[in-house]
Amino acid sequence: MIERSEQVRLAESLARQGRIAPAVAACYQALRVNERDPLAHCLLGGLMLAEGFCEQAARSAARAIELDQRCAAAYFVLGLAYDRMGGLWDRSILVWQQLAEVVPDLATAHVQLGEALAAASFADEAIDAWERALQIDPREPRAMYHLAVSALKREGMATALPGFRKAGELDPSQDDFFFALAGYDAEGLPAAAMSDIGPGIKSQLRAAHAFAANDELFKSSELIRSILDGHSDDVAALSLMAYLYLKQESVNEAMACSLRALTISTKTPTAVYALGAAFARRPALAAHASKLFSALTTMAPGQAMPHVLHAESLLGLQRYSAAGAAYRSALALDPGCVRALFGQAAVALTAGDHTAAAWAIRRAAYHDTRRRGYFWGPYDAAAEGGEQ
Amino acid sequence: MADDAPLRLYRALVKNDPAAAISVVEQVRAEGAEPDALLDSLFAPALAILGGSWADGSINEYVFTQASAVSDQVLSFVTPPRMAGDTGITVLVGSMHGDSHDIDKNIIAAALREAGHRVVDLGADVRPATFLQRVEETGARIAIVCAQMVATARAVVRVREMFVSDGRTDLVLLVSGAPFAADERLARAVGADGIVGGAESAIRMVSHLARQRRGGGSAS
Repeated sequence: MIERSEQVRLAESLARQGRIAPAVAACYQALRVNERDPLAHCLLGGLMLAEGFCEQAARSAARAIELDQRCAAAYFVLGLAYDRMGGLWDRSILVWQQLAEVVPDLATAHVQLGEALAAASFADEAIDAWERALQIDPREPRAMYHLAVSALKREGMATALPGFRKAGELDPSQDDFFFALAGYDAEGLPAAAMSDIGPGIKSQLRAAHAFAANDELFKSSELIRSILDGHSDDVAALSLMAYLYLKQESVNEAMACSLRALTISTKTPTAVYALGAAFARRPALAAHASKLFSALTTMAPGQAMPHVLHAESLLGLQRYSAAGAAYRSALALDPGCVRALFGQAAVALTAGDHTAAAWAIRRAAYHDTRRRGYFWGPYDAAAEGGEQ
Repeated sequence: MADDAPLRLYRALVKNDPAAAISVVEQVRAEGAEPDALLDSLFAPALAILGGSWADGSINEYVFTQASAVSDQVLSFVTPPRMAGDTGITVLVGSMHGDSHDIDKNIIAAALREAGHRVVDLGADVRPATFLQRVEETGARIAIVCAQMVATARAVVRVREMFVSDGRTDLVLLVSGAPFAADERLARAVGADGIVGGAESAIRMVSHLARQRRGGGSAS
């Protein structure tokens, strides 16, 4: 366990609040008190990286590692700084390999290692690293995206597309989109105890969505069954049931529920989504999926995900330029959409534009590391002396 | 199509009877229904009835699951095949001698194959003589030569020379790669008939050539 000074605690607290400038000042203050404080250097590196000062971040992280060779967060900062500076792939590979040794079960270290290896043209070694990442964490979307891109390069789109879809399903943004369509914020849907659920259909539906958002699929489906026993034509319940069936890979059941919902009301976005997602799982139904996702772009304006789903269905139809346009629409709405960036890379590859593909992948990696807040996990573990 | 066809299909599904379900599909097809419309006009309404029966409790979870499993067997009878039908067009694809880049070549070959063309993938680092030899073996009339370096792109002229020296002026030579994308004159200089700008462009150009050939004689 690394002892945290008062100044470091202050810097941490400020950094977590997003108050970067005073946090940096507190880090410097901490270093004036003790220049050999690895956490202060590490935190300063993390803050510099967050602000785009990669060289300063690398210097601070390297000093932190010098002082504490097991400081995983510092390896993170150093590796990401090298990656973002570009052209330092040899150093980057070394850092990610060291991180993988320090924390062998950290899937992200292998994902990053794979990216550095791929950038240095070690394609086979990169694939090994991403496969290792998926062995450690089968729900790691970025490793799956990379494997899909590799499959595209070797065997073409038909082989790669299931990988893109699988990666998309692992990406939490697709689930969040379903709940947003249903009118809920997935993060603000804490699952309640069954006994706390009110008798009204509205509270039951909310609870069913909350269970689903928290991966309590059985409880959610149990609740939907009881809703349908009283209101068999409830389209929200039918659509949620379709979503739950999709989560369990029961595609035809999902189709049946969503088609029933759409028979009752054609203007049910959650049912359109669920039916489109079910069709998308059947390669022969790509055209049907495309029509539904195209309709969804109108039903859910301002959302990037329908454009992404539409683009993926167009990839299945070999309409690569149209898919590129759909990805661009998604990125116009959400420039940090990792799934759209990987898709854009795939489209660029089909057009032989390797530079654009590499750039899109680098942007995807950048946004993914930012959105998932990789820094704080290893940092807190280092500060508390715990394992990752 | 008879109005009750979706209902008959639904009944076959809940009876867990794949043969009866497929027979309904075949009857509807025999009545003249368009194959492409079977999913929308027959399968989807039958599944909607199935979903409704499960929702209102007419059938239980077990029957619903069984019926869904049967519907999976029926699905292939109401959906178009995933791969396009064989166009009969044979296309040679390979990377030029001295060029080991194969990503574009792989993507183009896979896309053409998926579009129903007969693709002969010669791999990377292919000698000009091999292109001619494989043209003779396969009867292909279209060759796509990929090159990612200026030197190998310039060397594509040797493929054209090889074709001409053998009297094969009828062969269509398409080129692909960054040097050609950057300078179209290079493509003309090596005797190429066109530049393939990626997978979609390859599909478009080969389909266009196929239509032209159909108008003027043999397709392959």
